[in-house]
This record gives sequence, C-alpha cells and structure tokens, in this order.
Amino acid sequence: MNFWNLYGHKLLVAIGVHFLYVLAAVSIGFVVALTLGILLSRVPSIAKMALPLISVFQTIPGVVFIGLLFLSLGMVPATAIVALAIYAVFPILKNTYVGLLSVDKSLLEAARGCGMSKMQSLFEVELPLALPSIIGGLRMSTVYTVSWAVLASMIGLGGLGEFIYIGIATNNNALIVAGAIPSGIMAILLSLLIDAVKKRITHAPQKEASAA
Amino acid sequence: MIRFEHVTKKYGDSVILDDLSFEIKEGEFAVLIGPSGCGKTTTLKSINRLIEPDAGHIYVNGKDIAETDPVKLRRSIGYVIQQIGLFPNMTVAQNIGVVPKRLKYEKSEILKITRELMDMVDMSYDEYGHKYPSELSGGQQQRIGVLRALAASPPIVLMDEPFGALDPMTRSSLQEEIIRLHKKLHKTFVFVTHDMDEALKLADKIIFMEGGHIIQMATPEEMLENPASDLIRSFMGKRAADSAPVQLTAADFMRPNPISVYKNRGIRECTEIMARRHIDSLLIKNDDDTYAGVVSVNSIKRSGKTTGPIGEVPLSENAVSYVTEDAMESFDKLLNSDKDYVVVLNEDDTIAGIVTKTSMAKAMADALWGDAQ
Repeated sequence: MNFWNLYGHKLLVAIGVHFLYVLAAVSIGFVVALTLGILLSRVPSIAKMALPLISVFQTIPGVVFIGLLFLSLGMVPATAIVALAIYAVFPILKNTYVGLLSVDKSLLEAARGCGMSKMQSLFEVELPLALPSIIGGLRMSTVYTVSWAVLASMIGLGGLGEFIYIGIATNNNALIVAGAIPSGIMAILLSLLIDAVKKRITHAPQKEASAA
Repeated sequence: MIRFEHVTKKYGDSVILDDLSFEIKEGEFAVLIGPSGCGKTTTLKSINRLIEPDAGHIYVNGKDIAETDPVKLRRSIGYVIQQIGLFPNMTVAQNIGVVPKRLKYEKSEILKITRELMDMVDMSYDEYGHKYPSELSGGQQQRIGVLRALAASPPIVLMDEPFGALDPMTRSSLQEEIIRLHKKLHKTFVFVTHDMDEALKLADKIIFMEGGHIIQMATPEEMLENPASDLIRSFMGKRAADSAPVQLTAADFMRPNPISVYKNRGIRECTEIMARRHIDSLLIKNDDDTYAGVVSVNSIKRSGKTTGPIGEVPLSENAVSYVTEDAMESFDKLLNSDKDYVVVLNEDDTIAGIVTKTSMAKAMADALWGDAQ
C-alpha cells in the first residue's frame, strides 16, 4: 500500500501515456500499411522486391532507430510515435498484401464479369475477404507496439518504460514489476478487443486467408 | 445478336482463336463445345471483354463491343462461371442484387426481383435470402450463381461450364432448370461445356470448335445425323448414326415368326393356342401361306361358334406393312391404329413378322446404345 501511495498517480499517468503512444503509432501504422498493402497488391512484381526491403527495417533494433530519430526530431512525443508507427507498419502491410492476394481468382473474375469496376471489386470483394487477415496483422502490430513503447522512456518520453528503467537502474524490483505488469495486461486486453471486433465484422463463416 | 467477324487471339506463338466468324441469333441457346484448348472459353470470354481479341470485331446488338465501356457492357451481359464465384462476404440476396445495385435500381425493386428469381428455382427468399453462400449446397450455390447473372435482366447470358463441378444428379436437375429458364425468359444463352450429352440436351445450336476454328455449327439433330468430322463423331460416341444413316425398314424392327394358323384349323384348337401363349389374337393364313387376316378372342366370342374351322369366324382387318417399307411408316401405322401390332408381310404376301410397341422400343434402344445385352 505504501508503494501505491508513493507511485500510484505516476503509474496511472504512465499507463495513459503508454496507451496513447500505442494508439497513435498503431493508427498511423495501420493507415500507412493498408494503403501500401493495397498499392503493392496491384503490382505483385514490384511487391516481390519491395516487401523484403521493407522487412529489413524490421531487423534494425528499436534502440538504434529511436536514437536516430531522437537526433533529428528531438525529445518530442512525435519521435517515439513515428518510430513505433514504422515498426507497426510491417505486420499489417504483410497481412494486407497476403490477404488481398489470396482472394480466390475466380471471385475476381466473377466480380469483373458482374460489371464491377476495379474500385468496387477492391472495396466490396477483395478488402472484405482480406479483412480477417488484415485484422490479424493489426493485432500483431498492436501487441508488439505495446512492448516496444517501453523504449520511449529511453529518450525521456515517459510511459511504462520509465518504471522499468528506473527499477533496473535502482535495483528496485517493485518498480520493474509495476511497469511490466500493466504493459502485459494492456497487450492482452487490446488483443482480446481486436479479436472481438474481428468476430463482429467477419460474420460469414469463411476461411482464414492469412499467415497470422 | 452476337456476331464474330474474323476474330483472332494469340498467346505468344499459339493461336487460340483463328479468324473466327459466326453469328448467334437472338433468343438462341448456343452451346460451345470441343476438346480442351479448342478456344471455346476464350470465345465466350471475349463476348464480355474479359479477354480482348488481337484482331477482328465482335458485335453485340450491332455494336462493336471494342468501342463500349467494358464495365457497362458486362452489366448488360449475365455471366456464370464453373467455380460459381458467389461472394462469400455477401448474403445470397446481396449476391443476386450485385448487378442491379451497380445499375442503381431502387432497393425495393431489387428485393422484388430477388424474391421472384428465387421463387423461380424453388428457393424461397425467406428461407435462403439471408444465408451466406457457404451455408448452401453446391447445387443451390450454382442456382444462385445463375440467378445473379439473370438479376438485371440482361438480354445475353454467358455460362462457362457452369455445371462442370456438380455431381451428375444435381447437374441434370440444373440442366432441366436452365432449359425452363431459357424457354421462359427468351434470352440469348451462350454456354460452354465439354460434355456432349449436356450440349445435346440444352442446345438450339451446337458450335463445335477445334484448334480455334469452328468445325461445325448445327442443331443437335443435324450434328447427330451428319457429324462433320471424326472428332465430332467420337464426341458423340454411340449417339451418332454410323456414317451414312441407313434407311431402316419395317423388317429391322419387327418380331419375326409370330404365331399363325391355317384357315382350316379348328376354333377350339385356336383358342387353346391363344390361352397357352397368353395372347388374345391369332394371325390367319391361307393354304398357300399368304396372309388372310386376324382373329381375336372377341370376334370368336361374338360369332358364337365353338366348333368348325377358324376360317368361318369373320376375320378382322389389321394394319399391314411390307418388309421393305420405311420403318417410320410402319411406326405411324402402329401409333395411329387401335391395334396392338402391325403385321409385316414379305413381298409374296406371306407373314414375316409383327411390329409391336415393345419390338419398336427394343430396336430403338439397340440403335441408341448398341446391341450389347
């Protein structure tokens, strides 16, 4: 109880900040990934070159990346959000691309044969069918981002990482746990929320079309 | 309605359609058939511009389709594919309404059309309208696939092996339904298949293709009678008449050696024969073996005689054919008379046999399916 009196307020603020980072980063990442995924799925020949290239980004350690951005953008929340958003892009992008490409070719022909324009085919047939896969990617990105957002505190931008880093630095286990548990719970809750949304919007029993 | 003029399509070096010219008339049920790779599907898909020819022109309703907007063109042409292709993310009703929705029909209008169409194939809107395609059987799915093609009431419907993936029972009932729909709706149907049975059953006109050419374009009747090539003959299998159709005569269809008696046999003896053989009439012949007439149980009864020669009972007339007579004519006599058989005579008026409905059916079966069994 002593701990709560001492850190309770700070912890709540940290959870809030952490959540906002995740929300902002994943939202931006989602929009970018979806757009990029749709564009790449129109030109699979380019996608075959572009996707491995983009995946290389994924292998750059988050610390390096956030550090580089810190140098150019400074100590503002945008630094953390941009860095996290870039990481959030790839799982969604890959699942969007795979989901769109795995739509049955006969359905594309049926859509064309029914006189759908390319846009109508995309929005009324392809995207709805790729949706389970896209949401799978979204969930993956969200869960990753919750854990990566810990890095924000490295450049003094708060979030739950602050507790963890201070805990490590001062050898205070209670602080480490106080940072780790809420971020774990946040990841689980968000993942459950996304699953529930997925269930709601994919009414028809249909096969999972993803590598999620 | 649909006219091809010197249409050519190549993929690399291989020629898929080679200077193709033909016409399908309004309201016709045209079936494109041929071995795989003959260009039948390519021909079909170039009608709604899913495939663009390299040369030549295709006219639909007198208009060159190369000059029309492909999206608009496709909305005016129904399209059914073998893989069915119902959109799994839409309900049955939404699938049927896909084209009317594009054409900006009123919602109430779309609902009305959907109900009417579903009633036509005995799938009630209330029961199936809100189901998803995956909840239906293959046959039901393809029924909906056909309805989707019909929903905006297009004058032309293209079908690319629509029943190819269905089991034989379902296929046959869908064939019946498609014939019914064609009769009812008076649309031009263009149908691709590799199944000659299907083509013979459905087509007003069969277009047989091979190597990008039309080998023969004819009614099923003409094609059966006069297949233009050995390939077509092999497609027809046993259904085709062997080479030049042989003129069948009454002799080919008769049952030889029917029971007959001389005029001077006793009445009692004759009734005895009839009873033993389970027949109700006898052929009567003169002493020189020529045919005299027919005596039936009834006429013996009516004469009141129980003894004496059978010749004293009044003979009744019966339809008569000669062995060399065209089989068709003796069938006509049989079907038009109230008698159970036609008596077939040799040139010298002796009895050769009788043609009954059973012998006729058996001979027809032999002609259709061969002499096996």
